[in-house]
Amino acid sequence: MSSKPQIKLDKVKKTYRIGKIDLEVLKGIDLEVEAGEFIVLLGPSGSGKSTLLNVMSCLDVPTEGHVYLDGQDVSLLNEDQLAGVRGRKIGFVFQQFNLLHHLSALENVTLPAVFQGRSESQRKKRAADLLESVGLGERMDHTPPELSGGEKQRVAIARSLINDPEIIVADEPTGEVDTDTGKKIMGILTDLHEEGRTIIIVTHDLELVDYAQRVIRIRDGVLSEK
Amino acid sequence: MIKEYFKIAVRNIRKRALRSWLTILGIVIGAFLVVSLISLSEGLNKAVMGELQAVGTNIVMVVPGEGMDITAMFGGLELKNQEMEAIRRARGVDVALEMPWQMKNVRWRQTSESVLLWALDLQTGTDVARTDMGWDVREGSFARAGRREVIVGNLVPQNIFPGIEPGDEITVSGRKFTVSGVLRSLGNREDDSSIIFDLPDYRAVTGTVEGTPVAIVRIQDGYDIDLAISNIERSLEEVMVRRRGDDSPSFTVLSSEAMIEMVENILGVIQAGIVAFAGIAILVGAIGIMNTMFTSVRERTKEIGVLKAVGAKRKHISALFLVESGMIGLLGGLMGIITGLGAARLGQFVLDQNPNILVSIEAQAPFYLIFYTLLFSFLLGCLSGLLPARRAARLDPVEALMYE
Ligand SMILES: Nc1ncnc2c1ncn2[C@@H]1O[C@H](COP(=O)(O)OP(=O)(O)O)[C@@H](O)[C@H]1O
Ligand SMILES: [Mg+2]
Repeated sequence: MSSKPQIKLDKVKKTYRIGKIDLEVLKGIDLEVEAGEFIVLLGPSGSGKSTLLNVMSCLDVPTEGHVYLDGQDVSLLNEDQLAGVRGRKIGFVFQQFNLLHHLSALENVTLPAVFQGRSESQRKKRAADLLESVGLGERMDHTPPELSGGEKQRVAIARSLINDPEIIVADEPTGEVDTDTGKKIMGILTDLHEEGRTIIIVTHDLELVDYAQRVIRIRDGVLSEK
Repeated sequence: MIKEYFKIAVRNIRKRALRSWLTILGIVIGAFLVVSLISLSEGLNKAVMGELQAVGTNIVMVVPGEGMDITAMFGGLELKNQEMEAIRRARGVDVALEMPWQMKNVRWRQTSESVLLWALDLQTGTDVARTDMGWDVREGSFARAGRREVIVGNLVPQNIFPGIEPGDEITVSGRKFTVSGVLRSLGNREDDSSIIFDLPDYRAVTGTVEGTPVAIVRIQDGYDIDLAISNIERSLEEVMVRRRGDDSPSFTVLSSEAMIEMVENILGVIQAGIVAFAGIAILVGAIGIMNTMFTSVRERTKEIGVLKAVGAKRKHISALFLVESGMIGLLGGLMGIITGLGAARLGQFVLDQNPNILVSIEAQAPFYLIFYTLLFSFLLGCLSGLLPARRAARLDPVEALMYE
């Protein structure tokens, strides 16, 4: 492996306190991700996949340990700084799409660029191009309730790309769509990987393993790789 | 960037239209009260002040009734000849004029209109009217005593008898009079729509022999005004005490300065009252907006999580909610202003229909009133949204995303 990993986790622990009980969800995880990898993070429900992905994507902070992104210790950053890092470097795709219902597809896609202070013409142009590239050129003015699940997820993928991030994280991206649509979505993510982006997918669906370059298994907050 | 916030805010407000309407009711009522009542009282202020300020400081007014209360003034109380004589006898009084008024049918050419006739004793009062009350003709000449001449108000040739001009004849109660001139504006619509008659002519056409709801008194040059006022009061009291069984033994003497002060005081109290009422409505409105915004934050927790995930900082989230609450406030203010202006117009119309009210009020909605009402509603909206916005901005992104 090369000198500097894109993402590095160093003895990351995450503990939730529920009443008087401490629930240790991540039990000291060490992990390095190189730029351009396609990783599938596999594990049963409740094993800590989402928690791990959140920590890796600067959405959440570890209780103990350190997370490095491009060599920077992001565990030292405050909330707004983390938001900045997410906005610039990471694209998010969610299981439930998480689009804003009263905004059009185009407006949903442009939104992350608004927070980066991009000019309106710039972001509109890029959003339109992205929607075109995921095959929704004709659907830009539709709002999410007017779109099918697969279309919504493609809008969400376009949104994740608006700021041209190096890393795309997807938590159960095929969880809410049928098998065929799921394949289509995985196809798009594979294309993005071929463009050179790092793709990290969380799933409990064994079928997705076929797309991966690298499969990481998690069980009870501990990793095992093969 | 701001544009996006507006877009999101507008769609949210629209989506929850009914709740938004209820929310803004408080602000609507507040703005409504401020705009309608302030513009009416400003109108009143302008009408009364315009008139009073034209009057010289050596002029005092005598009205029957206690403390110039409105009911006495409009309630048909009159000063009779006996009282007029008493005023004239008082030391320091130069001229005392009866100036009664009455609506009468007036004919000019083929048209017959009900017009306000207003009496001025030309014999003794021409000079007072011209030099101390600022009356002046803009066309023709001032009427002369004993010539059956009248002067028409500034608006008569426009609104009542279009085209009437000096030299024309009018007929009232079968008697003919000649229009000698047209007055310059006296500052309010009612006065400007009246016709000025010489007192004896007025008595003849109205069939009255005495009585006036107001007397205009000029104090002798150099005589102390306050002293003259107390002389008039003493002189009037003597007459009234002698007139036993009189059920209206009271009267009020006012200098023009005292009148201005009194009007200012009354208006000040009215406006303070309006502001207090509006303040309560606005406070209720602010609480309503805050409540709505808290609900909105709760309902949109997941959306906030998404926005944060895709890079929104705390300032972006608070701005989003502040813009929304500010717009709710602005919307409320706008609706209050529109309905308030409508109500002021309606109020003006109703007051105009009342023949007892002599000053005609033109509702005044100055630019600053509109501007500040809007600004204030917007700021109030923002202020009400401050705490909800703060709560939204501080949400943890992961927890917010998990919220259902
Ligand atoms: N905010 C939280 N508070 C308490 N427990 C949590 C919280 N988030 C996750 N957990 C618990 O942590 C464990 C792992 O959750 P998660 O990472 O979502 O698992 P997965 O995505 O693999 O299903 C679960 O037992 C879950 O109940
Ligand atoms: Mg999960």
